Amino acid sequence: MNSIHVDGLTRTYQGGYQALKGVSFSVAKGEFTAIMGPSGCGKSTLLNILGLLDRPTGGKYLLEGAETARLSDAEITGLRRARIGFVFQAFNLLPRLSALENVALPMAYAGQGVEERRARARELLTRVGLGRKAENTPLQLSGGERQRVGIARALANRPALLLADEPTGNLDSKSSVEILALFKELNAEGMTVVLVTHDPAIGAAAGRVIRIKDGALA
Amino acid sequence: MNAGEALRAGAREIYANKFRSTLSFAAVSVGVASLLYTMAQTQGMKEALEKNLELMGPGRLTIEKKRNYISKGLSLGLTYADALALRRELPDLYMVEPRSTGWLRLVHGKTSLNGVKVTGGTPDHRRRDWVYKLRGRFINSYDVQQRSRVAVMVEPGTWFKKPFWAKFWGDDNEYDSFAKRRDLLGSRLRLDDAVFTVVGVLTPPPRDLDPRWDSWDTPNALVPITAFQQHLSQGATNPDSVDEIRIDTGDARTLASRRRQIEAILKRRHRGEEDFEVKDDREEVEAKMEEMRKYVKAGLALGLVALLAGGIGIMNVTLATIFARVREIGVRRAIGASRADILAQFLFEAAMLGGAGGVAGVALGLGGVRWLAGLGGTRDLAQITWLQCVEGVLLAALVSAAFAFIPAYRASRLDPVEALKAE
Repeated sequence: MNSIHVDGLTRTYQGGYQALKGVSFSVAKGEFTAIMGPSGCGKSTLLNILGLLDRPTGGKYLLEGAETARLSDAEITGLRRARIGFVFQAFNLLPRLSALENVALPMAYAGQGVEERRARARELLTRVGLGRKAENTPLQLSGGERQRVGIARALANRPALLLADEPTGNLDSKSSVEILALFKELNAEGMTVVLVTHDPAIGAAAGRVIRIKDGALA
Repeated sequence: MNAGEALRAGAREIYANKFRSTLSFAAVSVGVASLLYTMAQTQGMKEALEKNLELMGPGRLTIEKKRNYISKGLSLGLTYADALALRRELPDLYMVEPRSTGWLRLVHGKTSLNGVKVTGGTPDHRRRDWVYKLRGRFINSYDVQQRSRVAVMVEPGTWFKKPFWAKFWGDDNEYDSFAKRRDLLGSRLRLDDAVFTVVGVLTPPPRDLDPRWDSWDTPNALVPITAFQQHLSQGATNPDSVDEIRIDTGDARTLASRRRQIEAILKRRHRGEEDFEVKDDREEVEAKMEEMRKYVKAGLALGLVALLAGGIGIMNVTLATIFARVREIGVRRAIGASRADILAQFLFEAAMLGGAGGVAGVALGLGGVRWLAGLGGTRDLAQITWLQCVEGVLLAALVSAAFAFIPAYRASRLDPVEALKAE
């Protein structure tokens, strides 16, 4: 079974701008896929749809074999919470929460107990090499460390799919290498990873590259 | 999310925006304080009324001279003889006390005071509104018959707990300062031009614990009504004149019938002239209470308006908070928060803000009630229960959450993709 299957996916914004013009592909479980293309080609739109943040105007999106088009907002939210981990270019950590609390937040929304959450968040932070900085707030962390927290948060609810939008876009080259290594490790452990990038080095590291141009596969 | 975490998150947010938060809950505080104060008054008034009525007796009437009445020359006005006639013709009346009051000069040794309140009365004075401790003896019927120049002095009221204003401004008049430093029992003093012997001293209860609704009306000295007429009521056209006659029928059920009889007797004695008024004291008290109830209603309205204004303030703050945190909303949605989670978060934060305002309001309100309690004789108007405090805080929280609903709902409907793009 494929992790992702999209067929004839279109997305038209209000005002008639067509960001996606019929995109079809599949991502198998355990694959490490990079989506590449020039700015404004529609790759972020595609990632938002894959991450269930946005809905396609037309076409099919099957997540782990299940059709997503007819789901209600509550069902979509539940699926996003349970099956998808998001990593952002700008990290998007909540500034008033500690690293530990940031990582624990998705589990809170999933309704887990406090002790359970804290234990797992600590474990995840250790996993990404930040076990000692669990109580720091994002402002007390470097860019690379913030992105590690972001990745740990994405893993909190044991998702099937890790989506990343330019995860190294705001990082220096040394941190970028480390973050990429982390993604590869996770992939080696069986995690399906789809990331959007400009960076040819990351594209080269990924097992597979999907190129997009003007809203269609190139 | 459990309540403890939501509480901590909310507290953090409020603390991070101290100025904004303070502004928004100020109005809520005023509203809650005002409501609390009003509730306390309502409760206190009820109790005060009940106590007053119990103390003043069930069948109280006061006969007064009719105001602005121009005599046709037939009536002698309200007289001591009227009181004696009522006593004679209606022997079952529990109390008949003719009374006159004057503000006179008192001379004792080298001290001379003006404006000392002297009331002429009879032994019946003791029958109702009796709250005093007596040393020596009271006026007796022999004194009244003999027009004895004897006086019972009333000591100045003390405080059980002195209100703060009394400490600053002082609360003694000339007589109080004079009387509290001397034991007057057995001494002789001059009232206007007559020398009286002090045969008794009355100690009233502390002012803040005095249960009488008209405790401010307490005289400084009591003398036999007859002695008052003879020596102290200069300028009266009729030497037998009295200011008023206080009656208690002894039973609320006989009040109406006795009142009619009293009116008939007096009208006959006054040769048809209705130069007097019979007032029902209960009606007086209740009218006074009714007037106070109006103020209370105004306070209630004020509190509600302040609370509404506070609610609108909270709504504004919630709106501002949400505008400032659109991106956060996007992030929360992206990592799995449902619309309901977002709605609950902002409602809860607003409720906390309102609750904090409520707590401040309760503090303010309790301060106000303490102040109210400090005013002499109105202690009973200041009753407040813990339940009311809790209710005040809950009400503030509830109102705030209600007003935050629309902004919070809009926040919950934000498109996560758009929200994530926000700066």
